[in-house]
Amino acid sequence: MKRRVALGLLYSRSGSYALIGEACRAGALSAIAQINADPESHLIFEPVERDPAGNIDLYAPLCAEILQTTAQHVIGCVTSWSRKEVIPVLEKLGGTLWYSVPYEGFEASDHVVYTHACPNQHLLPLLDWAIPAHGRRAYLTGSNYIWGWEMNRLARDIVQTAGGQILGERYLPIGSTDVSRMIEEIRASRPDFILNSLIGPSSYEFMAAYRALGVQDKAFHPSRCPVLSCNVTEAELPALGDCAEGLIAAGPYFRGQQGWPGGTFGSSHEAATFVAVRELARLLARRPQAKGLADLLSGACDIIDPDTHHTELPVLIARVEQGSFRVLQHRGTLAGDPYLTRPRARTAPQLRVVQ
Amino acid sequence: MKRPLRIHNLGGAKALILHRPHPTVQALTRQLTAIGLNVEQIWPCLDASALGADFVFFDADMGHDDQFPWSPGASPMPMIALIGSEAPGRIEWSLEAGAHAQMLKPVGDNGAYATLLVARAAFDAQAALSDEIAGLRRRLGERQTVIRAVTLLAARGETEAEAYDRLRQMAMAWRITLEEAAARVVAAGKDTNVPRHG
Repeated sequence: MKRRVALGLLYSRSGSYALIGEACRAGALSAIAQINADPESHLIFEPVERDPAGNIDLYAPLCAEILQTTAQHVIGCVTSWSRKEVIPVLEKLGGTLWYSVPYEGFEASDHVVYTHACPNQHLLPLLDWAIPAHGRRAYLTGSNYIWGWEMNRLARDIVQTAGGQILGERYLPIGSTDVSRMIEEIRASRPDFILNSLIGPSSYEFMAAYRALGVQDKAFHPSRCPVLSCNVTEAELPALGDCAEGLIAAGPYFRGQQGWPGGTFGSSHEAATFVAVRELARLLARRPQAKGLADLLSGACDIIDPDTHHTELPVLIARVEQGSFRVLQHRGTLAGDPYLTRPRARTAPQLRVVQ
Repeated sequence: MKRPLRIHNLGGAKALILHRPHPTVQALTRQLTAIGLNVEQIWPCLDASALGADFVFFDADMGHDDQFPWSPGASPMPMIALIGSEAPGRIEWSLEAGAHAQMLKPVGDNGAYATLLVARAAFDAQAALSDEIAGLRRRLGERQTVIRAVTLLAARGETEAEAYDRLRQMAMAWRITLEEAAARVVAAGKDTNVPRHG
C-alpha cells in the first residue's frame, strides 16, 4: 500500500513572470508523474495547486490554504518578494517551501529549501568570466525590487574591487517597458558589458531595444558589449526571440546538458524543480514520521546542506547562439553560500562537471 | 553619510550566546551557523576566553554586570541584547552593559543577520568616535603648550599670527602634530635654540 502525500504547488500561471512559473511547474509535474509511476516508490504525490496569477497579495493566503489541507510541503514561488510573503505563513503553520529559481541570497530560512543558484553560484562566476573577457566598465539594470537591488549592489562591489567602474544603474517597476532612458544612458556611456536583472516584459523590451541599438552602432553588438543575466533561461527564449542572441547567462543547467540527475530538461527552472520534488520524495521515504524540515533532513542529507538549506550545483556560463544556449565554460560545482561568508573556492575554469 | 557595510568578515567569526539553555538559543544558533559563524552557548558567566569572541549575545532578562570579564560598556566586541521583558529597568541595564543592537525573544526564523550588521556598524562607529574624542581631548590639553610656543616665537619680533604660522610650518616639516611641535619648541628653550625648519 503506497502512502498518499499531498504536495502543494504555488506558481503563477499568468502575469509578468508566468513563463518561469510554467517551467518550474512542468519540472514539478514531471517529477510527480515519475514518482507516482515508479513501482519501487513508497508514496504517491497528490498535487494541491493554487495559482496567485502574479498577484503578490494572493501568495500568503493561498499558501495558507494549501497548508490547511494535509500538505506540509509547497513547491513554488518565483520572485523573492513572493517568497518573503509566504515565509511567515510557513512559520506559523509549520510548512516548508521548496524554492527552485535563482535568487539574490542573504537568506537561510528554517522553512525553505533553496534548490537553484544564489550569487556565489551565478553572479560571482559570471563576473569572474566577464571582466577578463570584456572589461571592467559596467552598466547595471534591474527590476525595482530586492532581486535587482541586491544583484546590482553585489555587482557594484565586485566591479569596483576589481578596479572597474559602474557607468550607470537604473531600475524599472515590475511590468514597466519604459526602457528608453536606460538605452540612452548606455549609448552615451559605452560600457564593456551590461548586467540585466530585469524580469518579464521589462527584460524583453530592454533586450529588443538593445538589439536595435547594436544594429545602429557596432559598439553595442553582443560580441563587443554583451548583456549578462543570472535569471534568463530557455523558459524565456520564446518571448525574447532573436533579441536574446549573444546574451550570456550563468546557471546550473542549460538545455541538453548531460549529467543532471533525472535526465534532460527544458531549462534550469524545470531541472531544479524536478530535483526538489525528487529529493523531497527520497527524504519522505527515509523518514516518513519526520516532524518538520529539520527532522526530515537530519542524518539523511544528500544534496541539501543542513546548515543553509542550499544545494551544491554545477556552475556553467553559456551564450545564446541561434536560439539556444551554448555552454562556454564549466566552472566546477559549488556549494551554495547564501551570505558569502565561506571562503571562495577558486574552481579551475575548465574543470568538467562530474556527477 | 554613506558608510559601506563591512560584511565579508563574518565567515568563521566566533559568537558567544550568554543565555541559559533555551529554544531561543537553538533558534539563534541555527541562524548564526547558517550565516557561517562558530557558535558557543555559555551560562552563567563569561571567562577570559570570551575576549577572543567576535560577537557576544547576552540575556537582558537575567543578566548582571558580574557575568562579563570587562567593565560595563567596555566590551572589546559588539554586544547584542536578547530582550524578553521590555521593562525599562532591563533596557537601561542592557544599554549600560554596552548593547550595540538587540533582538527580541523568542528568536525565530530570521533577524540574526541584520542584527550582526547593525551591531558591528554601531561598534565600529563608537570605536571611531572614541578614538577621535581621545585625540581631541589630548590636543585640547596641549593648548597651553601651543600658547607658550607661540609666545616664545613671537618674542623674537614676529607677530602672533606670524609665529603661529611658523609653528604650523615646523609641524608640517617635521611631520608631527602642531601640539607636538609646540612641545619641542617649549622644550628647546626660551629663545635662540629654537630649531628652524629647513
